[in-house]
Amino acid sequence: MNKSLQKIYFDPYLFFSLFFLSTLGLFFLFSASNSDISIVSKQFAYIVVGFIIMIVVSQPDPDVFRRSSGLFLIFSLLLLGITYLVGPEINGAQRWVRAGPFSFQSSELLKLAVPIFLANFLFDKKLPIQRKEIIISLLIICCCFFFVFRQPDLGTALIIACSGLFVLFLSGLSWTFMGGSFVLLLISSPFIWNILLQPFQRQRIATFFNPESDPFGASWNIIQSKVAIGSGGLLGKGFGEGSQTQLNFLPETETDFIFSVIGEEFGFIGVLLLISIYLFILLRCFYLALSARDRFCRLVIGGLSLTFAANLIINLCMVVGLLPVVGMPLPFISKGGSSLMSLFLAFGIIVSMGTHKKFLPQ
Amino acid sequence: MIFEERQVEKNNFSIRAVLLFGLMILGLMAVLLQVFSLQTSGYSDYQLAALNNKNYAVPVQSLRGEIFDRNGKALIRNQPTFDLITRPNLILDIDSFLEKIQPVIFLSENEISKYKKLQKEKAFVNKELVLKTDLSAEEIARFNVRSFNFQNAFIAKRYRRISDHPEIFSHVLGYTSRIENDFKSMPEIPRSHWKDAELVYAHGLIQGHTGLEQVYDDHLSGRHGQRVYEMNAKGQFVKPLSFTQPAKGLDLYTNLDIDAQKSAAKFLGNRKGAVVAIDLESGGINVLYSSPSYSINELSNGMSENSFQTLLNDADKPFFNRALQGRYPPASTIKPAIGMYGLSNNIVNWDFEMKDPGFFTLPETGRVFRGWRKGGHGLVNMHKAFLVSSNTYFFSLAYQADIVELSNHLSSLGFGQKVCLDCFEEDPAFVPTPEWKYSIMNTGWVKGDTVNLGIGQGYLVVTPMQLANYAALLATKGQYSEPSLVALGNQKKLLRTWQDERFNNSDWTKMHQALLGVIESDNGTARSIRDLKDFQVAGKSGTAELVSLDSKEAYQELRSSELLRDHSIIIAFGPMPNPRYAVSVVIENGESGGAVAGPVAIEVLKSLINE
Repeated sequence: MNKSLQKIYFDPYLFFSLFFLSTLGLFFLFSASNSDISIVSKQFAYIVVGFIIMIVVSQPDPDVFRRSSGLFLIFSLLLLGITYLVGPEINGAQRWVRAGPFSFQSSELLKLAVPIFLANFLFDKKLPIQRKEIIISLLIICCCFFFVFRQPDLGTALIIACSGLFVLFLSGLSWTFMGGSFVLLLISSPFIWNILLQPFQRQRIATFFNPESDPFGASWNIIQSKVAIGSGGLLGKGFGEGSQTQLNFLPETETDFIFSVIGEEFGFIGVLLLISIYLFILLRCFYLALSARDRFCRLVIGGLSLTFAANLIINLCMVVGLLPVVGMPLPFISKGGSSLMSLFLAFGIIVSMGTHKKFLPQ
Repeated sequence: MIFEERQVEKNNFSIRAVLLFGLMILGLMAVLLQVFSLQTSGYSDYQLAALNNKNYAVPVQSLRGEIFDRNGKALIRNQPTFDLITRPNLILDIDSFLEKIQPVIFLSENEISKYKKLQKEKAFVNKELVLKTDLSAEEIARFNVRSFNFQNAFIAKRYRRISDHPEIFSHVLGYTSRIENDFKSMPEIPRSHWKDAELVYAHGLIQGHTGLEQVYDDHLSGRHGQRVYEMNAKGQFVKPLSFTQPAKGLDLYTNLDIDAQKSAAKFLGNRKGAVVAIDLESGGINVLYSSPSYSINELSNGMSENSFQTLLNDADKPFFNRALQGRYPPASTIKPAIGMYGLSNNIVNWDFEMKDPGFFTLPETGRVFRGWRKGGHGLVNMHKAFLVSSNTYFFSLAYQADIVELSNHLSSLGFGQKVCLDCFEEDPAFVPTPEWKYSIMNTGWVKGDTVNLGIGQGYLVVTPMQLANYAALLATKGQYSEPSLVALGNQKKLLRTWQDERFNNSDWTKMHQALLGVIESDNGTARSIRDLKDFQVAGKSGTAELVSLDSKEAYQELRSSELLRDHSIIIAFGPMPNPRYAVSVVIENGESGGAVAGPVAIEVLKSLINE
């Protein structure tokens, strides 16, 4: 412990796999943006900054994060409030907060703040978790979900809810409670459909179940995405050779649908490589979670890495037509600073939680 | 926390973490599986869908073949003209563009409004749009000096289908017209792409309409080429991908003769009628003319709706092809056929004589059939009956005929059927039979009907084409070729034979002598045309009565109405004794066959023979 002051906390597996992943992402982005070098260099700058943030954030002791988790949550919610009051409206949604030349999607921070706060709230509670704690946790999750949902940003709101629920589940939520709430969710689903969902969100879900109903309207995106991936074949059409991508038949190639670009231009081989890297990262996080020094660290690593995984899988499932369209970027690949920053921040915290060891006094 | 509790918590966490991480890995596997299935089993479908997204094929119009006469002179050719073409999607302000170009190239109100309307529809893609067609040399020069001012406009070559003799060949050649359903010729190109076809004709996508242009449309039209563009999601052309050259249509070499057709038109003048001439050696049709006519140049290259309606509603029916579709009673020109029947059935022979009092009385009813000359021709045998065109002789002959056999005989000579190999919409016209009369008029065939048939009046109707075919049969003594417009070249001529063992070679010789006498002897009915030429011609003229009248006086009254006057008809062949050409002429309401239709036939024969 006395030596820890000189030690640099660093996980080579995560560092190099993330490095490989984001470098690969730059190549994909180059093709997806029709060779727009300015987009790629901007993304490159974000990645460099991201790695610095990750390394810096890895250094403090987990206790620092634990003690500041409340402040972090309040700060995140405040930022969300500011967005709500003064944020510019882009495409009918208020998601961004501006500071000088930089703009940041404020909801990204909640993806981190909610699981860390809940981990702090639950790590010293006795098993099984009591009803009072469950209700408090659910209330916090619901509030955060609702604030983001109102922006409206269903994708991020769902991820925030997931991040909280993962922590709640990992910390020992009773099985009977979960069964009961599942039944409750089923019963209330018509209410959610009719009252909570915006018309365009309902449209997307309807489209998902019957994509051929409106090939030039709402289901255009998903049809073109499947055409892009399917026409890539096993080997792909080659870098910069995907007609769906280069001739703009595929929408949102730089952001949500960048995976279709990879599928089209690099085929199944490219997809396999990409998913292998993600899988490796996930397994490494799983190992770190199991070997973490205490319950708080376990919960945070579990919560953050599962949030990352959920984010990834929702994006992939949407793009290949297994889920309805929700706005969600592909982690470390899609264009966008906010998403990258919060991802590197999350992995910085994961590394901190996973590499700081504390030996119990005998 | 005490150690045991910590251990319990840790185990609890591990189980739940395995569950959630396992779920996530399962999700990743599901995605991988879905991608694999899209890229393997769905590959061909999706690859096709991706190609259909981006590949935009447009047809490239082929040039039609040209049509030539028998001397290799062009009847219809493709004439290059120059059009001003714009790229409407690159022109931002259409009004100022038009204002700027007005002083260089004159545009009518109509052209401007039409252009503006089309511009709106086509501005989206990089499509060419014609602003003005058929520029004059002066306009081209003016534009070329200032072309730097108009980067989105250029001059390009477009063809027109032009005949140098547009008025006289209209019926036989036909014209070309714009079509909307050419997409059937290239099913691989989607229907909607045809509006972007690359055109070589100023009139657009055209196909043959009537005449040779239609009959030989496949031969003439060639095969369209194809240009494939890459198109982006906005529907803009990105770059050309591939190009298949169009195959030019094949030229058509016909048996038509420009000079002979010209004389037919010249000597028919503005009278209604038709002329058909056949080359006896080949069966080739040298002349096929119907009057009145119209200009195919205008029709082929875009005629205004008004002019078209005027033509269509003209009381003289210029679109009506009298040579192939005009139904006329053959009148006295049928007499050689009746004579052939009488000789082969032993009803008469060349020596048989009878008295012609100027009329024939039907024994059964006492009905009187009059000849054309009051008092008759005295004693007539068959030779004289042809020369003076004795009606009484042929009434009496027909009276002894069996109508069914006579009908079959007439059919064997080509009447009541199509005789031309490649004519457009030839009318088979009509040979009457007792069954026909019963089914149409619900009354039986009577002897009087057969008697009328003996001089080509009554129910029998024939076309000028059939008359020419019949003249060719007479001229060749039954060994004739099937008439055709297009030169068949090395192909075997379609020889036809009319044969009857009871009608032998000496009968043919006598027949030729008689028909020669009709024109060349002192008492032939068509002797008035004898001196128009320096070779000998055989033939038979006729006057088709439109109204059956008993006296000349009554006809004089009728003459005042032009449309009720008799048609004059002649069939002729020459030069005798070894004829090379046969010709038929019908002039509606022309009266007196030999004197009216005769000169036209002679002039056509002259221009054919003297070539």
